[in-house]
Amino acid sequence: MSTTPEEAYAAALAGFDRMTVHRLSLLLQHHLPSVAYAVAGGHQRPAGLAAKIFQDGELAATWRRNAVERDPEEVMAQCRLLGVQVLVYGRDRYPLTLLNDPAPPPVLFALGNLDTLSGRRAGLIGTRNATLSGRETAGVLGRDLTRMGIHVVSGLARGIDGCAHRGALRACNEPNDNMAAAPIAIVASGLDIVYPPEHRKLWFEVAEHGLLLSEWPPGTPPEGYRFPLRNRIIAGLSEVLVVVESRSRGGSLITVNQARERDVTVMAVPGALRNPAAEGANALVRDGCPIVMDAGDVLIALGLDNRRTGSVAYDPRPRPDEADQVVLEACTEPVTLEHLLLLTDLSLVACAMAVARLEAAGWISQIEGWFEQVRWSF
Amino acid sequence: MLAAIPSATLLGVEGHHVTVEVHVSAGLPGFSIVGLPDEGCREARDRVRAAVLSSGLTWPTKRITVNLAPASQRKGGAGLDLAIAIGVLVANDELTSQSVETFGFIGELGLDGSLRPVHGAAPLVVALGDVNVVAAIGNRAEAEAFSARPVRVARCLRDVYEALKGDAGWPSPPAEIAWAEPEAVADISDVRGQTLAKQALEIAAAGGHHTLFLGPPGSGKTMLAQRLCGLLPPLSAQESLQATMVHSAAGARLPASGLITRAPFRAPHHTCSIVSLIGGGTSALRPGEISLAHGGVLFLDELGEFSASVLDGMRQPLEEGVVRVARARASATLPARFLLVAATNPCPCGGGAPGACDCDDGSRARYLRRLSGPLLDRFDMRVPVQRPQVDEMLQPSDAESTAVVAQRVASARLRSISRGGTLNAAIAAPLLDTYAPLTPAAQRMLRRELETDRLTGRGYHRIRRVARTIADLDPSNGGELVTDGHVAVALQLRVRLSPLQRGRAA
Repeated sequence: MSTTPEEAYAAALAGFDRMTVHRLSLLLQHHLPSVAYAVAGGHQRPAGLAAKIFQDGELAATWRRNAVERDPEEVMAQCRLLGVQVLVYGRDRYPLTLLNDPAPPPVLFALGNLDTLSGRRAGLIGTRNATLSGRETAGVLGRDLTRMGIHVVSGLARGIDGCAHRGALRACNEPNDNMAAAPIAIVASGLDIVYPPEHRKLWFEVAEHGLLLSEWPPGTPPEGYRFPLRNRIIAGLSEVLVVVESRSRGGSLITVNQARERDVTVMAVPGALRNPAAEGANALVRDGCPIVMDAGDVLIALGLDNRRTGSVAYDPRPRPDEADQVVLEACTEPVTLEHLLLLTDLSLVACAMAVARLEAAGWISQIEGWFEQVRWSF
Repeated sequence: MLAAIPSATLLGVEGHHVTVEVHVSAGLPGFSIVGLPDEGCREARDRVRAAVLSSGLTWPTKRITVNLAPASQRKGGAGLDLAIAIGVLVANDELTSQSVETFGFIGELGLDGSLRPVHGAAPLVVALGDVNVVAAIGNRAEAEAFSARPVRVARCLRDVYEALKGDAGWPSPPAEIAWAEPEAVADISDVRGQTLAKQALEIAAAGGHHTLFLGPPGSGKTMLAQRLCGLLPPLSAQESLQATMVHSAAGARLPASGLITRAPFRAPHHTCSIVSLIGGGTSALRPGEISLAHGGVLFLDELGEFSASVLDGMRQPLEEGVVRVARARASATLPARFLLVAATNPCPCGGGAPGACDCDDGSRARYLRRLSGPLLDRFDMRVPVQRPQVDEMLQPSDAESTAVVAQRVASARLRSISRGGTLNAAIAAPLLDTYAPLTPAAQRMLRRELETDRLTGRGYHRIRRVARTIADLDPSNGGELVTDGHVAVALQLRVRLSPLQRGRAA
């Protein structure tokens, strides 16, 4: 008996009828999983606040029955068969990011490579009935972020989520790319119940390359109330959350709110004004969300401005000739053409020509008549 | 018993001939005026009666009916007073109808019988046609400038009565103290520094380019604008007539000669109403500031402070050179071909060097957004003006005087008109290649600006027109080609407006 790992008890408990995140959290906060299992089975007295759960006699009876039906060993064996790992809050291999979450999942079921969780992650979410351009955007963002080494976190749902993951997988499958970061998907059903069914192939590809996470044990059906709960994990695992297309109300906005509670930067891809699928994202933009136009914007939000990487800081601007150099040197502080005429002793035409050449070559820039030097930045 | 006296009334800047018919008959004593008189005109009843009595003449205690023909047209103002009084005298047999036959009468009467000048004497005289005009002394200059026949002037009704009766000659008072001579035109050499802005003035005058000055307060935007009129050539004969008509109709001051020959300068305050700027208002449809600026310069200081509707009202006249003022009862077409010069601060705090300004990008953008895009679009040049350097203020001026610059402007105008028949600002876009061909280098420069999004298509045409004018002003430019130097200066005269438009010269 002593060989049964604690994780098995937690996995079994997670599958009890009427088990909620709250109840499971309370149980596991106050007891070891094995003890919690015994408590649920009525063999031990509950400790602390967990006792409140058992004031509901009907629930206590249900759980006593469940404890008989659901053998931890069996549950664990089923998980092993599926290749599913069980992660318990506070124990070995539990994702560090979720340790400080305001509502951490007490138990996580994982299929795939857990190392992906230690990389940089960006959430990519959106509506299920997305427009074609929204899908394309999601795909391109997913692909580009993956190429740049950012793990794409999403929910494997229809629409934007799926497209983001497809894009990510496309990048993973590209040859000669060792930088590609595999996607992370958080689903609302057991890891053996593929939902939506048309994502079967995608589902297992994500598991193969990256990581599939669920809060529920294998065999759990995708019930409606589990999706908002799933969204909080997406928010918790994202460092930056990008809303590609979202209706004025919907699951994406739940994720957005969850992300805001967790101080996760929310970014949005703006859409056309009359596109109802973009209403939510546009409202976010109106409320001051940073805008995402390409993967680079997400990188910057992650503090990974890559614009200077890859190439040596080579300044391709044509060198100004000697006469223009005089004008350029006069522009060390903001000056007007008037100042330049005084400083350089050039005629108006000559000065205007020099300024036009320098501006065309990108050495100076002009606003409201003031000229300033421009440094080569990208 | 019946008299018909020719007079005229004003609508817009045009006079309309009015026959004042007076009928005096037995009946209950009374005095009525018919024929759509407005309030001021109807009050003539009391003025005319008092004036006749004060002049020692008899007022008939009979039924007096005055009809202003054509009866369907609205008449306004007090200019018909004299004609009504003479009509009453004729109908009452105080004067014979033969004695007034060759005369037309314009003037307002005082209760003491004095004759007062009226607005719009010039157009009224034109409308009266081939008659000897009798008018107040104050209207003499205008009337004489437009009348083919000798103009008779009088101090009071009694003078007119006696002259018509033959008891005395027409008074010939000495020429009045001249109305203020046109103010000594400010000289452009007064402006220190501001090379670019002065260049812009010269270009504006030579090409008829509307210009927007952008700069902090105290940088001399107003001073510059005031010097533009001096650079413009004297008005052509036709413009002079039109301008005089407008000034006369609006009751604005006219020079002693009675004719406006210099380009007028109008600078309405930014609180002005749409009617005062565009015209209309009274039943006579008084000309607005844009018409008063006809042939000259309309200067709008603090452009952003003008109400949007006022500014947008100017867009159509800017395009067409005339403004059509229409009201329910009447409509008038007023001349309004003017050079628009405006000035604005770049931002609420007044601006300064980048970084020195207190305003954030948002408030700067909001400030500039008050200027509607279509209006901004009418400006060929957007000229930055900065406070002059101390050195420039103090050093003795060796700048060119207005006379020298005006000479160049005149020859450049001649060049452009002999080329295309218009000033350069009015060259149609399809004709630009014909009238303003570019050298290959200039073409390259413009292509680069377009490709880097620093110039839009509309800006492109404006730049080319301005560059054409710069080339016309360039003494070293023998050929008809516009070179890259000209384009470069034109580009500098069209600055980018706000950080939000970075890289764009819309």
